[in-house]
Amino acid sequence: MTPSAHPSLYVAPSLEDALNALAERGADGAPLAGGTWIMRAPLRHEAKSPAFVGLGRVAGFGRIEVHDDHVIIGAGVTHARLAEALRDIPDLQGLAAAAGRSANPAVRRAATVGGNLCTAGFAAADLVPALLCLEAEVEIASRAGVQRLSLEAFLAARATLEPGRLLTQVHALRSSARSAHARLPLRKAGDYPVAILSMAVMRDDAGRVVRARVAVGSVEAVARRWPALEAALTGPPLDAASAERAATDLAGEFDGREGVDAPGWYRVAVLPALARRAVAALL
Amino acid sequence: MTVDAVMEFRRRDARDKLTGRTRYTIDRAAPGMLHAAVLRAEVASGRLVTVDTSKAAALPGVRAVATAADAPGRFGIGVSDHSLFADGQVRYVGEPLAAVAADTPEQAQAALAAIEVAIEPLPAVVTMAEALAPGAPLVHPDWQDYEVLPVGGARAGNVAWEATVVRGDVDAAFARPDVTVVESTFRVGRQNHMAFEPRAVVARYEEDRFHIETSTQVPWTIRNATARFLGVPASQVRVTVPPVGGAFGLKFDVAIEPFAALLAKKSGRAVRLVNSREEEMLTCLFRENAEILIRSAVTSEGEIAGREAVVLMDCGAHGGEQIFLTTMTAHTLGGNYKLGAVRLATRAVYTNTPPNGAFRACNGVYNTFALERHTDEIAAAIGMDPLELRRRTVLGDGDLGATGQVFEGDVLRPMLDRMEALRARTTPHEVDDGRLYGRATTVGTWFVFTGPSAATVNMNADGSATLVTSGVEIGSGSMMQGLPQIVAATLGIRPEDVIVRQADTDAAGYDVGVGGGRQTTSLGAASLAAAQDVRAKLLAFAAQLLEATPDDLVMANGRIEIAGPNGKGFTIAEVAARAQAALGPIGGTGAATRTGVPSMPGCVAGHFIDAIDIPVFAVHDCEVAVDRDTGHVEVLNYRVVQDVGRALNRSAIGGQIQGGVVQGLGYALHEEVSIDALGHIRQCGFETYRVPLAGDVVPVEVDLFEGAPSLGPLGIKGAGEVPILNVGATVACAVANATGRRVQELPLTPPRILSLLLGREPDLALPHIQPAFADNLLRPHGPEV
Amino acid sequence: MPTDMTVNGEARTSARDPLTPLIDVLRDEFHLTGAKPVCREGFCGACTVLVDGEPTVSCLTPVAMAGDCDVVTIEGLSSCGLTDIQSRLEQGDAVQCGMCFPGMVMTLSHFLAHTPQPNRDEVRAALTGNICRCTGYERIVEAALAVAGGRAEGRR
Repeated sequence: MTPSAHPSLYVAPSLEDALNALAERGADGAPLAGGTWIMRAPLRHEAKSPAFVGLGRVAGFGRIEVHDDHVIIGAGVTHARLAEALRDIPDLQGLAAAAGRSANPAVRRAATVGGNLCTAGFAAADLVPALLCLEAEVEIASRAGVQRLSLEAFLAARATLEPGRLLTQVHALRSSARSAHARLPLRKAGDYPVAILSMAVMRDDAGRVVRARVAVGSVEAVARRWPALEAALTGPPLDAASAERAATDLAGEFDGREGVDAPGWYRVAVLPALARRAVAALL
Repeated sequence: MTVDAVMEFRRRDARDKLTGRTRYTIDRAAPGMLHAAVLRAEVASGRLVTVDTSKAAALPGVRAVATAADAPGRFGIGVSDHSLFADGQVRYVGEPLAAVAADTPEQAQAALAAIEVAIEPLPAVVTMAEALAPGAPLVHPDWQDYEVLPVGGARAGNVAWEATVVRGDVDAAFARPDVTVVESTFRVGRQNHMAFEPRAVVARYEEDRFHIETSTQVPWTIRNATARFLGVPASQVRVTVPPVGGAFGLKFDVAIEPFAALLAKKSGRAVRLVNSREEEMLTCLFRENAEILIRSAVTSEGEIAGREAVVLMDCGAHGGEQIFLTTMTAHTLGGNYKLGAVRLATRAVYTNTPPNGAFRACNGVYNTFALERHTDEIAAAIGMDPLELRRRTVLGDGDLGATGQVFEGDVLRPMLDRMEALRARTTPHEVDDGRLYGRATTVGTWFVFTGPSAATVNMNADGSATLVTSGVEIGSGSMMQGLPQIVAATLGIRPEDVIVRQADTDAAGYDVGVGGGRQTTSLGAASLAAAQDVRAKLLAFAAQLLEATPDDLVMANGRIEIAGPNGKGFTIAEVAARAQAALGPIGGTGAATRTGVPSMPGCVAGHFIDAIDIPVFAVHDCEVAVDRDTGHVEVLNYRVVQDVGRALNRSAIGGQIQGGVVQGLGYALHEEVSIDALGHIRQCGFETYRVPLAGDVVPVEVDLFEGAPSLGPLGIKGAGEVPILNVGATVACAVANATGRRVQELPLTPPRILSLLLGREPDLALPHIQPAFADNLLRPHGPEV
Repeated sequence: MPTDMTVNGEARTSARDPLTPLIDVLRDEFHLTGAKPVCREGFCGACTVLVDGEPTVSCLTPVAMAGDCDVVTIEGLSSCGLTDIQSRLEQGDAVQCGMCFPGMVMTLSHFLAHTPQPNRDEVRAALTGNICRCTGYERIVEAALAVAGGRAEGRR
């Protein structure tokens, strides 16, 4: 093992500095935000990257901007701060719940939005399905410039992202939709959820659903939208029982992942109940 | 003399624990101390071809390396089948292969990585079904060569130990025309103690002796086991025990102490060894997984004419505690109820999995689960209310236990009445949210693991007393509350003025250890005797000073006085000081051991305890709500009526009950250990092994039942172990009542419950338990021939 | 690369590798053994310390991330005698093995400072990341509610 020329952790003071440091470190480098995943690498028997670049001091990484038509969330925003900032915003309640109920209070104070989205090995990330429902986009910065791509595209590419790139912020659109986040921990709280169903629904004046976004997390290795359920929800007024029935009919689309915490069939089997709960939270 | 030791006395260690000042073993260090690490096998079974430590030994900072050649001895509670390092054969994932000590933990880890190991894989038996299959590979091919400490248990191949009970003619009972035969099968997984302080040790080698400072419940076992492993006289080992950060039975056996001792001797330096959490998970000495078949012949009136059962206990790769615990089936699965005829077989089975061990109410929790669920199945089969069936059949005064011991006093029946009253005082939970509601009441039989204990009380000239025992404070508070209360009450001084010495095998006499509910009873009995010895000496001396007879004197409130108004007298300090000057310092010693309640001759074979000295009974009740969509069980409330004999400190007992019940809720609902086909434990820490969190618990409603017969000092019984006993049983019965499904396994995780509700779960079959009782036995019941 | 920080009001410098968990620096380098490394995965809370006033799991915090921060451990919190929550825990006979309490006290001190009149469910939720294996939690929850109740009485 050749020791890296760089310290094991360099705390970058600015974005420019962080990008330079990541570029210099190349394949040896990796960003470190809250540390709540990376610091557990030894428990997973994973090697740590030789040279982390700490993002905790990067100016602007912790910003949350709530505009009338969109919201910008810096990658360094912690779950706790996000939940607090979105507490009273009706259309972002799903995201607020995802941020406010994940893990436990101390981890929520440390774990960041960027970390949650970038950790390819973490299937139970709460923010991912919530942001998929908001059709979020992410900004990826490198010394070459800034690139913006959909969260879906990012999820597909994140494991093979080239060195020197950094997720800097998340853009989500605001709307008249209402959102909810149904998660299922095995205990009352404190677990990673074995299944997550996030939902954002826009209704007309008569209460009919004109647009539905549903995303499922933790059931498969990577969270994804559930277009068939979205279609089933669209048209009639929102109704918990019919959402549950539709989810029951459609749940076979998912191939639940086997885990130490729960078998694959279970993750799929609880989706109808989560669909019902999510809808109930919107009524 | 009557002693009133009942007090609401607060523990003296709370303040330091709350301010972070308490120094547990993991917080201890010594100048120049080395850091040790243990290399562990990564396969479940194999022939150990090479362990080459030469490169590792040459690395910078490495001061000592130890392998099997350094530890020739074997140890075991019943059978000496445990070598410190794998001895030519690897038997489980995690088995030690070598140990190193280096200047830094990083250097120690680097040394482990440099040890060259070659293991030739062998077929493994990972489940008891595999281990008992015809022609199964043997975990211990040389089982016949091992030293067997007590005689009587049958052994062969992968059956490490077999204990049997036969009382009466069971075949005749089952053949009666007026009985219904009910058969049930059960299976439970392992439970991890998750003690917060991992196994940890700091060892030194000084003046040709080992000094081991360790986080243990059993200082004398550590002393004796270390000596056996290392092949040295036990007198060369001294064990001292700092405050222990949780144990629950985990620390009732030798663990990593001998590695540190060995490395300390080799290096000449103090050596620290602390298990990582992963090592703790890997080598937990879990509560064992078990499989149970139980069959009863019952009349329509609920009379249990006959009962038979086979219990399989997985001991993992070493017999360990499980060999001893085969005994407990007689007193747990064979407990609770009046039985006409009974036969029980309990088999400890070797598998290529990490060794199991002791855990709070060992064996009792799952046998109580099986017995109480079986009892509910009997009630359903004969169409009787389950509570009524229990009222009719629980053990009462003069009834025979499974091994023929005679139980004294009606205890369980009045406790059932008390539970009804307790329940009536609280409003039942309304569940109208679509969840399934269920309730259950169960009974349980447990005991106090008595046995040898020693105590010395030194009366100090300042009026304080020093209590010296081999007791350990593991968190239960016995050393902080019960024991000083007993000594203080006997000597008429304040409990604050009793100094309690923590275990040091050089200072105090032998003790079995802290566990089995024995601390306040056995150590209490020894402490009481020692204090009475001191009391008699002080009274005799004071009588001379006061020109009275000892019978005329009262000893209370820090004074010895002539009884009666305005009685002349002295402070105890003054008497102690004057006695010290005249006679030398006043001290007393006390000892206690098993009293030995008889069983019926011929009833037991292979048992370590034929009858229980101090039975302890428990009645639990709970209400649950089950989510039919997700399988989540919520315990709505929980009630305990516990037989405590006499409650010395109600607050302390209340704390044990709340904590024990919550550990039981974990066992019943959340705490799951799974072992994959390669013999790896899949749960590696607090993320995957789910213990109850603050949001998962309820305040337990408690009624302490006092006055039941007890051979314990001052009429007390152990109160800290039993609270966990029937939690799995009660929750399982309540869930079965809620769902209408046959609950046969624990833990009742949401996937398992949903599986039951969806009918995904086939009825539990245990084909490796033979339908005919006799076909399960290595040899017919009876003494060894 | 040394890391400067303030620990319990004193300026301290760690010489450890910047990725070293803060818990190891506190315990092994600064000999503050109150915080306990129990799970090293952020689930048990026994290593909780305050970093710039926020309860932080020091097992998952690289020491460099605590650079220039104000760190308070259980030793620092207790330097002027028992705090309210510690007193209530002592009076309530809540302590058993005690290993979780340094972290419990840090979490509850912060929680009670920011939530003056919590209900039972809020206390429980605040303790989601602080495991106790001995006590079954109720006395800890009661102690927290008693602190809040005592304050309410004090105002009357």
